[in-house]
Amino acid sequence: MEGAPAKGVLSHLSLLEVKARSRKTQLQQHSRVMELKAKVEALKTQREQLKAQIQTHQDLQKLRLAMDKQCADEEEENMEEESENSKLLRLMARHTQLKDLLHAHHLIGGYDIIKTRKGKGACVSIATAYEDVFLDTFNLEIDLKPTVKISRHNIPPFIPLNNLAEQNNMQTDLRVFLDTLSKHLNAFAGRKQQLKLVKEKHKSVEVMESNVLCSLLVLLFTVPREKTAVLCTLDYTDHTRCLPTRVHLESEDKQLPDSPQWKKNCTLLMETPVHKALITMKKMGSIA
Amino acid sequence: MDNTVKRLLERLVRRIPSRMLKTTLDKWSRLTATQRQSIDYTESKWALTEKLLAICEENELTVKHIAELEMIHVIENPNLGMWHAFQLMDPQGDAHSVELTQFKEQFKSHLSELIRHVSIKIKKHTDEAVWIRIAWGDTFSRPNHLKPTYVVHYLQTPYVFLSSLTSKQKPLLSQALVLSTRYQAIKDANLSGRKLTAIRDLLMKQYLQVFPTKFPSPLAERNRVVSNLHIEKEQAGSAANRHQMACEAFGDGLLPQLQSAVYKLETKFRDHTNKTMTERDEPFRCVVKFASTNLLESLRHSASSGTQKVLKTVIRITIIVFCKEVSYVTITWYVTKSCRILTASLQVSTRGHQSPGRNSHIVMLLH
Repeated sequence: MEGAPAKGVLSHLSLLEVKARSRKTQLQQHSRVMELKAKVEALKTQREQLKAQIQTHQDLQKLRLAMDKQCADEEEENMEEESENSKLLRLMARHTQLKDLLHAHHLIGGYDIIKTRKGKGACVSIATAYEDVFLDTFNLEIDLKPTVKISRHNIPPFIPLNNLAEQNNMQTDLRVFLDTLSKHLNAFAGRKQQLKLVKEKHKSVEVMESNVLCSLLVLLFTVPREKTAVLCTLDYTDHTRCLPTRVHLESEDKQLPDSPQWKKNCTLLMETPVHKALITMKKMGSIA
Repeated sequence: MDNTVKRLLERLVRRIPSRMLKTTLDKWSRLTATQRQSIDYTESKWALTEKLLAICEENELTVKHIAELEMIHVIENPNLGMWHAFQLMDPQGDAHSVELTQFKEQFKSHLSELIRHVSIKIKKHTDEAVWIRIAWGDTFSRPNHLKPTYVVHYLQTPYVFLSSLTSKQKPLLSQALVLSTRYQAIKDANLSGRKLTAIRDLLMKQYLQVFPTKFPSPLAERNRVVSNLHIEKEQAGSAANRHQMACEAFGDGLLPQLQSAVYKLETKFRDHTNKTMTERDEPFRCVVKFASTNLLESLRHSASSGTQKVLKTVIRITIIVFCKEVSYVTITWYVTKSCRILTASLQVSTRGHQSPGRNSHIVMLLH
């Protein structure tokens, strides 16, 4: 009996009991014919329903193809007098198009959004990634009625969430707000990952100072041979970027920061992520 | 030798457990190698104190150095003492670019301006926390190192954690903090506890929160002990659902260990038979206190186990109603299916007659 695991043993037993009881009260022959006739009717209606479903699905496919083609060609189609059915069909096609778009967005590492609390709320998941590695995912639960408001989230407190919500007018333009937030979070995750790689892969470089937002980094380099120390300050004042906005060098040897080699290093640090820049600097012999 | 140094050192040696004394002294690095080797950690605390006092005198260490040692011990053991969380409000434009040296200078100068004799020590821990130890004095006396205040702050976040602060010292410290962090005000975050790590994790959202998602992680495998393939649990589906909802409401994995939560509540009385109570204009003011060894864990467990009544043995709930007519209150608590609402059914006995009044729902959202 295949039904047993799906419904539970006790419920199946009660089902059998009911069947046995009802069978005793019916007249055998006549009832059997009536039963079969009723079954035939039921199956016929089911067949009609399935046929209608298949037809709708086929129409939907055709309409989707037309719609996708229309989007690619950027043509405006005339909105003729359409029947209720075709309007509904168009709506359904648009719905599937949006769902596919959302799925594609998720696959490229964008954010996901799902309905919660029967349409009164939404939950957004923002994925962060750096250098082809997926890092933390951050979530926001938003109330949509009566006003658009964030009810809970797991975004760390040094990301100015409320400021961003106000500046980007979360009430009217949710997408812009989410895009900006995603930029901030991805940049933060990128900077954090860079710091982690510097600590792991470059043990000869000492991290003198950093902060929770990873917007400031002070490193201590040692020049080989002369063993002079160079203090390098990286300021990441633009919190939506993974690269520093300012590089400042200080050394006991006053002329060192102005030497052509170190000027090159300065530009290198401004243009490449710090963990990669350090590899180049080591190869060139600037630092130990 | 200075009396304060003696007393401070004595108290410190008593507080630090013998097994941790060696590592703490090594971290302190104010003793030479020979001095460190000469200490026998199996001796009694009293003997150790005497030995250390002698060494300190030899090295001419002052009370500031002993304060350093105390700070090292407190940073390593943040879950002792009572911590209170505060929140900085309204950041100014440059609040997000305050860096450590700037903060240190500003804080020290502001606090020294506000109070003449004060001893401040600032240290940055590896997890980016800035620890401040303050010994307060006043216009006439030197700083009292036996009752220091500790402050923990993470730059670029609005949270500050304080321990051992008197009401007289509070406005001075608040002022110095607000000015040096470039915010405009500071308010009580209404969260306190013994475990600094717990309240910090809660405020900085460093625990595992669960959110509804379309793509649950395929790698998150819950260790299911499949005892017998022929046995299937009838309630497996609904149990998994309840667990998911409980995790969404309270979090997954190891939760911050909160021991108590206090809520202020204003509510109305609902019972048709008792007109006097229902016709009151003002709402009932109550204070509800939840206490447990691990509050969040207990709430999550009772929500996921599906029992309708919150386990009274695990969480102690006391409620105080501020109302003259109420003579006693009994409460029964229920966790609803969505795990977001704790409903209380209060039985209020008023002067004159007993009435099983039902009170309104108390929405418990721990976020």
